[in-house]
Amino acid sequence: MTARLREALRWTAEDVPTYPVYDRALATARRDRRRRLTAAAGALTLLALAGVVVPLTRTPALDPAAAADAALPDHIALPPIGTLHVTDRPRLGPASIVFSGSAPRLHGLNDTNVIGVVAANSDRYRIMRTGREAPAGESVHLSPDGRYLARPDGDQDDPDVDVVDLVTGRTRQLTSTVDGSVGSTPVGWSADGRSLVVRDDVPVAFDGATYTSVLSVVALDGERWTRLAAGAQEARVGSTVAADPGRLAYQYGRTVAVTDLDGRELSSFALPDDTWLAGKGAWRPDGVTLTLAARRSHTTEWTLRQVDPASGRDVGPLRLPAVSGVVAIRLLGWAPDGSALVAAYQPDPLAPDRPLEEQTDPPTTDRRVRSVRVLALTPGATAPRTVLTAPDQVLAVDIADQVIQGGRTRDAQPPGGVGGRFWLWTGLITVLVVAGTVLSVSRQRIALWLDDRRFRRTRRPGG
Amino acid sequence: MTETFHEFVVHRSPALSRTAYLLTGDHQLAEDLVQTALARTYRHWRRIRDGDAEAYVRRVMYHQQVSWWRRRRLAERLEAEPTEQAGADHSDTTALRLTLTAALRHLTPRQRAVIVLRYYEDRTEAQVAEMLGCSIGTVKRHAHDAIRRLRTVAPELVDTAAERSTR
Repeated sequence: MTARLREALRWTAEDVPTYPVYDRALATARRDRRRRLTAAAGALTLLALAGVVVPLTRTPALDPAAAADAALPDHIALPPIGTLHVTDRPRLGPASIVFSGSAPRLHGLNDTNVIGVVAANSDRYRIMRTGREAPAGESVHLSPDGRYLARPDGDQDDPDVDVVDLVTGRTRQLTSTVDGSVGSTPVGWSADGRSLVVRDDVPVAFDGATYTSVLSVVALDGERWTRLAAGAQEARVGSTVAADPGRLAYQYGRTVAVTDLDGRELSSFALPDDTWLAGKGAWRPDGVTLTLAARRSHTTEWTLRQVDPASGRDVGPLRLPAVSGVVAIRLLGWAPDGSALVAAYQPDPLAPDRPLEEQTDPPTTDRRVRSVRVLALTPGATAPRTVLTAPDQVLAVDIADQVIQGGRTRDAQPPGGVGGRFWLWTGLITVLVVAGTVLSVSRQRIALWLDDRRFRRTRRPGG
Repeated sequence: MTETFHEFVVHRSPALSRTAYLLTGDHQLAEDLVQTALARTYRHWRRIRDGDAEAYVRRVMYHQQVSWWRRRRLAERLEAEPTEQAGADHSDTTALRLTLTAALRHLTPRQRAVIVLRYYEDRTEAQVAEMLGCSIGTVKRHAHDAIRRLRTVAPELVDTAAERSTR
C-alpha cells in the first residue's frame, strides 16, 4: 500500500516552516492591479487615438449634402482663439463665405493676415494665414462652388498663387510664368471655376520704383497661363474682375474690357465719371448686360446701373433700391429672386477724409471702413435688406457664387469659446506635463521594480 | 463572522507552506508559489471570502506550479535514473525524507500534484479531478504513472499494491 509514501510526505511536510508572505502577497497584488490598470489605460488611450487618428487620415470625399445645403449665414463672428486652420483635419469642405479685416483675431504673429472661413452648410469656422495683407474678395477668392480658396503666397523671391482645396486640405501652387514677376495676386475666378485670373507685378526700371501689372488667366487643368492685358500699376489692371461663362470683364483705370478665356478682347469701353465695374457679380444672370456701381456725386448714395458690354451704353435703370451712407458697394452676385447681393462698406466716423487724388479709385476696403455687411437689393423694394452682418473691423467678405445663386440663408450661431487647436495644444501639453511628473515621481519606484524583477529572474532555477 | 484576508493568511499559511514545498521541493520556489497564490486570492477576496477560500488558493497553487514548470522545462529535464540514495548512516526519518524529496523530482508537476493531493491531503480521486480541473480518468492515469515511477526510483517508498486505488 502507500503507507510509507504517506508517512514520508507527512514527515517531510512537518519540517517546512511557515513562509512570511503576507506583506509581499499584498504588494504583489497591488502591483499587479496597478499594471493592469496602466495597461487598460494604455489600451484605451491607443483605442481612442486610433478612433480619432484613423478617420482623420482618410481623405474625405466631397459631401454632396454640404453643397446642397449651402446657405448664407445671417451673421458672422470673429474666429475663436485657437481655431483650426483650413488644412487641419477634419476638413472643412466647401465654404460659404470668407472674410478679413483689421480685428486683432484676424492678425497673427509677425503681422500675418488671417482669413476667416465659414463652412457652406454650418457654423464651422476655419482660418487661413496669408503672408501679407490680402482682403477677401480682392486678393483672396472663393471658387464659385466654394471648394477652393485662392490666395497670394506673399513670397517675393518666388511668387506663387496658392489654391487650397477645402475638401482634401491639399494646397496647389501656381508658379507665375510672367517674366520678372515679383508678386502674383489672384483677382478672380472664371464662371466654371476651372480658371483663375491672376495679376503679376513686374518692375519696369531696375530700381523697382515703377511696376507694370500683367493680367493673366490660368487654366488649372495643365496650368496654362494666358495673358489678358498689361498696364501701369497705377491703372490697377484687374482691380475688379467679373466672370460670365466663357467671358471675363475687368476694369483697368477708367476702362472696362471684355475678353474670352483665350485672351481675345471682345470689347472695351470707358466708364462714366463716378462709376465702376460693380464687382465679381457684374454680369447679369442672362449675360446680356454688365452692371456698374454708380455713386451720386459728392454723396454716399450708390446705385446699380446696367450697360451694354459691347459699347458701354447705358441700357436703362435697374429697379433696385439705392444704398446710402456707405463708403462703397461691391456687387457679389444675383439671387434667384432677382435680388442683387452687395457688400456694403460701412464708414468709420472717426476716419480721416480720403485724399483727393484717391477719390477716383475704384471702391475698395481701406481705413475709412468700420465694417462690412451684405445687403440684398430686391427689385421693387424701397430699401435694401440686410442679409448678413459682421462685427466691427471685419472689412471685406467674399461669398461663393453657388451660395448666392442658391438664395438660401440660415440663422447663424457662430462658435464661441476657443477653437480646436487650443484644445489640441492644451491636451498635448497636459499629457506631456502629466507624463513628465509621473515619470519624475516614480523614477525611484521604477528603478526598484526593475531591480526586483532582475533579482527574481536570477533567483529562479532555469530562469 | 467573515474572516479577513489577514486572518486567513495567518491561519492557513502553515498548511499552504507545507503543500507548496511538497509541490515544488524547493523552499524559495515554495515561498514564491504561496506568495503568488495569495496575491491572486487577495485580488478576488471579496468574491471568494464567503466560500472555500483555501480551496481557491490551493487550486491556484497547483495550476501555477504546472505553469511555472512548463516555462522552465526547456531548461530542466527529468532525471531518467535514480539519483543518490539516502545514506545508510542517516536516521530512518531523515533518510525517508531525503528519499522522498529526491524521488519527487522525477515526477511531472501534475503527477506530483496528484501524489500530494491523494496521499498527503487524502483527497478522493473525484476531489483531485475537480481541483486540477481534469477528469477522474486523468487523475488515475497521473497517479498510476507517478507510483510506477516512484517504484522505479525509490522502491522503499511504495508497496507493491499501492497503485491500486482504494477509493
